[in-house]
Amino acid sequence: MQLVLRLNLKDEEVKTEKINSGIADLDELIQGFIPGDNIVWQVDDLKDYSYFAQSFTDQAILDGGDCVYLRFASHPQIIKARPGLTIIEIDPAPGFDFFSGKVHSIIEERGRDVRYIFDNLSDLVTKWATDELLANFFRVICPYVLELGSIAYFALTRGQHAHTAVARIRDTTQILIDIYHVENAMYIHPLKVWGRYSSQMFLPHLISEAGWSPLFRSGEAATVASTAHKHPLSLDTSSIAPWESVYAKLIQYRQAGENLIEYTPEVVSLKHELIRMMIGGHPAFNKLTDEYFTVDDIIGIRDRLIGSGRIGGKAAGMLLARRMLLGENGEIDFSEVLEAHDSFYIGSDVFFTFLVNNNLFQPRLQITKDGRISREQFKEIEQQFLNGEFPPEIIEQFRDMLDYFGQAPIIVRSSSLLEDSFGNAFAGKYRSEFCANQGSPEDRMEAFLRIVKLVYASALNPDAISYRYKQGLSESDEQMAILVQRVSGMPYKNYFFPSLAGVAFSRNLYVWTSRIDPQKGMIRLVFGLGTRAVNRVGGDYTRMLAISHPQLRPEVGVKIAKYSQHNADVLDLQSNEFLTLPVVETLADCDYPNMHLIASLMSEGYTRDIIGICPRESVKDLVLTFDNLISRTSLIRVMGEMLNRLEKKYGYPIDMEFTAYVNSKGDVRINLLQCRSLPLPGTIGPVKLPDGISRELTLFRSSRFISGGIVQNIRYILYIDPSRYAQIPSMEIKKSLGRVVGRINNHPSIIEGKIIMMGPGRWGSNNIDLGINVGYSDIDNTSVLVEIAREEMGHIPEVSYGTHFFQDLVEAQIMYLPVYPNDSETQFNNDFFANSSNILTDILPDTASFRDVVHLIDVTLSANGLYAQIAADPLTRKAICFIGWG
Amino acid sequence: MTNQNPFEVAQKQLDDCAQILKLDSSTHAILRVPMREFHVSLPVRMDDNSIKVFQGFRVQYNDSRGPTKGGIRFHPDETIDTVRALAAWMTWKCALLNLPLGGGKGGVICNPKEMSLGELERLSREYIRALNPFIGPDKDIPAPDVYTTPQIMIWMMDEYSKIYAKNQFGVITGKPIGLGGSTGRADATARGGMYAIHEAAKVLGIDLSKATVAVQGFGNAGSNAARLCKELFGCKVVAVSDSQGAICDDECLDVEAVCECKLDTCSVVNLPNAKCISNEEILELEVDILIPAALENVVTEKNAPNVKAKIVAELANGPTTPEADAILYKNGVHVIPDFLCNAGGVTVSYFEMVQNSYMYSWDEQQVYTSLEKKMVEAYHSVLNTSKEYNLNMRQAAYVLAVKRVVEAMKLRGWV
Repeated sequence: MQLVLRLNLKDEEVKTEKINSGIADLDELIQGFIPGDNIVWQVDDLKDYSYFAQSFTDQAILDGGDCVYLRFASHPQIIKARPGLTIIEIDPAPGFDFFSGKVHSIIEERGRDVRYIFDNLSDLVTKWATDELLANFFRVICPYVLELGSIAYFALTRGQHAHTAVARIRDTTQILIDIYHVENAMYIHPLKVWGRYSSQMFLPHLISEAGWSPLFRSGEAATVASTAHKHPLSLDTSSIAPWESVYAKLIQYRQAGENLIEYTPEVVSLKHELIRMMIGGHPAFNKLTDEYFTVDDIIGIRDRLIGSGRIGGKAAGMLLARRMLLGENGEIDFSEVLEAHDSFYIGSDVFFTFLVNNNLFQPRLQITKDGRISREQFKEIEQQFLNGEFPPEIIEQFRDMLDYFGQAPIIVRSSSLLEDSFGNAFAGKYRSEFCANQGSPEDRMEAFLRIVKLVYASALNPDAISYRYKQGLSESDEQMAILVQRVSGMPYKNYFFPSLAGVAFSRNLYVWTSRIDPQKGMIRLVFGLGTRAVNRVGGDYTRMLAISHPQLRPEVGVKIAKYSQHNADVLDLQSNEFLTLPVVETLADCDYPNMHLIASLMSEGYTRDIIGICPRESVKDLVLTFDNLISRTSLIRVMGEMLNRLEKKYGYPIDMEFTAYVNSKGDVRINLLQCRSLPLPGTIGPVKLPDGISRELTLFRSSRFISGGIVQNIRYILYIDPSRYAQIPSMEIKKSLGRVVGRINNHPSIIEGKIIMMGPGRWGSNNIDLGINVGYSDIDNTSVLVEIAREEMGHIPEVSYGTHFFQDLVEAQIMYLPVYPNDSETQFNNDFFANSSNILTDILPDTASFRDVVHLIDVTLSANGLYAQIAADPLTRKAICFIGWG
Repeated sequence: MTNQNPFEVAQKQLDDCAQILKLDSSTHAILRVPMREFHVSLPVRMDDNSIKVFQGFRVQYNDSRGPTKGGIRFHPDETIDTVRALAAWMTWKCALLNLPLGGGKGGVICNPKEMSLGELERLSREYIRALNPFIGPDKDIPAPDVYTTPQIMIWMMDEYSKIYAKNQFGVITGKPIGLGGSTGRADATARGGMYAIHEAAKVLGIDLSKATVAVQGFGNAGSNAARLCKELFGCKVVAVSDSQGAICDDECLDVEAVCECKLDTCSVVNLPNAKCISNEEILELEVDILIPAALENVVTEKNAPNVKAKIVAELANGPTTPEADAILYKNGVHVIPDFLCNAGGVTVSYFEMVQNSYMYSWDEQQVYTSLEKKMVEAYHSVLNTSKEYNLNMRQAAYVLAVKRVVEAMKLRGWV
């Protein structure tokens, strides 16, 4: 496409007026610049670049145009500040994505016919570690300069970059000029001048005061050229990029075989440098990686890395957690428990090379900036990703990896830099796909490439883009690395799946009875692939296990069957696809190994263990309870110890994905797939409740909540009066009330302010007699959801403890407070809620018929400009909502 | 739900009967209170090794007609007065069905949702250890009730058997079918109600194969009732409801589809193409038979004048308020009162005792036939009493039951 663009431009652009470089001899040599030229100067000494750049700047200012110096390197300024010159400093440290986006924005904002002088591009390599990204940066910026008819000067330090990177730069730029010195003489040698030609143009020229003269004579030319170019044909030019050099040095040390190399300062420093190149630079996370990863660990990661760049948050979290568990012997020896891993990583540079090679960088940049993309637009861009191609050297590495796995199923997991990284709740926004990996090598490669491209495209999916925008992460460096893991499990019939999988949390926010110790964590356990535990699947349930009391469950009797897992996710090895099957169908032959550990039989209203072989006629009564697994094996104890140890070492609550297998002897094997810091709603630390809040200013108190924290400056309160709700005569009106709540939730004014929602009983219940019928998207902008448990019309609603809706709240970090107004300690301020003016119809004019029930309060109007505040202390389990200053 | 003390309600009902039967004051006084009640403290070792002490009750209200019989409830809000009232009602129900049993009830203040299986087992066994001298196949036979399952019954039976060093299956009913339980128990309540409806229809001259039925409530009793109405008599079930609302079809609802819908979506209202009506409207539909099978107090003085059904068959406990009862009677609505209509459950429990005693098990058909016989007899006894005393069916049922208990007490020389 770039080539086409150039050809299209050729006729009109070449005819346009030539632009002076500020040096007449140069203009003569290359026949002047034309709008859109990018000029790359390969120099040994930056003083040479400075000479040409300064002259170009002076000329540009003389011509009266916009001249911009983009300053980003650590070397001294290339050109001096002077009137007419705009100097813009940009920090490349945040990463390639951020930097490229910034430069792109500057070029976009300044428009056409601008003169740019860039610092030495070679300096970027020390920040970004690889030549790959350097070349990618150039290939993103250069076409944009061309498109806008501007002219840009770049410098590269000669002989310090990989041949492939320089070749890509050469292919992209319009003009590439070598400057070198031989025996105190300075030579200029144009290597590429697009659209211009003369018989002497591509000869080396001696620069002298008498003028520039071409080297015609063969002997003289040979001497100069051979001195200047030590390796004229080498494809293996040694690079200064730390990616190569740091690794090479570490390998040297290791080969030296010294026992204590881990502790020598240089090795430690090299290890840390390689960690930052491959894992990233988050200070808190680095503290852990530096402490726990050995040189061998880091070299081991590098040896399984395809391309270059970082491995992303998901891969890093998995590796770190494994190291934390394996590195210490405690009550449980995890080397006996953890399955070996043989994952591969596709480096984050590969993502950018893919974008740049397939003209996807600019569309992505625009979408990220806009912070939104429609589902239809995404479908189109996803197709463009699917049409994209990988460089041959990457394809070769993919082939090696697929050969390694053979026909074992694999999972291709997004592992972006933001995703799952320390302190970022970004999980689940990008795609992970199973690859059943069956068929001929060609078929397997085709299927794998398609999945990788889909995972890459998912960086632009509407949810991820919107989430990044909402979280202020639009400009953060976000590259998509990929983790390729062997699917844990075993074949059964035509399927492949693990017998157990799930997500475990070191803190339990699903504390539906006070018996449960929230500090001990919880597990969402499923049979089959863990997708059902990771994603929220409507109408089906996981087994929620409190580590402190694994046998407790909020359901009794036949409800156990209702709130159990009914479907299992598996890979179909025959059709080569991911399938969801009814559990009773999957287990229909009653010969699944150790079936008695995971399933029970429901009859006569209670569950009973399977004894021996499950009779086939009883398959319809199978219920996945995992009862025997819980009571007869050490799985829960092992998981509890894992969570405990990881939280201690992380210094934060964590969650992890896993698969597990328990054999007939009860030996537990766990495959740790992922580990990350656990985002908790509010806080887990102590919160000091304000003293001396008068009764008039108190809106309510609560002493039975779960999550803690402080929510300040609440402008709106949506209050649904429980008694009025109970008196609504028509089911239809009760049902449509939920839609009104949803419209309030999504109203721009409400989103801009901060809202809490208060209503009777169980929000989200299917049973509208028990509470308001809302879905998650109807309440997702609320900061706090208050369930009012009040005896009205004869029954006390049961608050949301133990419901699955509650899980959504936890994960969306929406604070949850049950309030019991009839309890005198609650100090429920009926007057405030009853007498504050109702702004419902100001916001939604067509909802007058709901005014009696739906009370939307603008707190600032009812409280003389003050806001509502909530403080909830998770330790004492006391909370207060009051009017006051934030 | 009323805030009234349930035991006071039960006493008031007895007082009314006593007046009709002109009971002497000493007999009345004996019947106003339980014969025996036990309050026990049950220390249970919890999973975390701590000991928690639970409060348990067992009330043996009156055993003049035979060993007392009644469920054990595990509930956090359990109170002794609830247990007393339920024990009294069990006494009348067993007498009404002419079972050789008295009435009892038990309860433990606990929340089974917050207990592991191991803890529940230890609590169940402790309950039996505390009460074993006072229960037994010929003294008092517990059964499942709120939050107690066949598994809990087996633990209790096992503990009792261990204490007495012999198998004592008859000490408890509601056991699993494979271990001393009776077939036919799953739909016994609804099936018993059906037999009563059948008799009422005969009396009123209603052709059940053409009759229309509305079932309010779609839990175990309601859904089985809807199914059996069609299966046994070919009735047209035109409306059903649950807590989310009601659906109706003037022609006939596909009951199987409704059951599936309830299972899949938790509510009958989600049945495709069904006409939705309110929970109030279903009670006032133009149908031959209305079966309230959910909560108490749904037929009130407010809506009773609008009830158009010819038969109201109370599968639920207490669905009709006393005021509504009077209105229905005045309007000629034939009410099959709750403790007659839903007595199928206790009757099959009694059959379980009988089978245990003979160490034999009946097939379903034998259970159904025996149940039908008991229900038919009971229905006609109530009907006759109603005519004899010029009472409504509920008053007649009470009068008949109390009269039978009093007769037993007299024969035994207690009064």
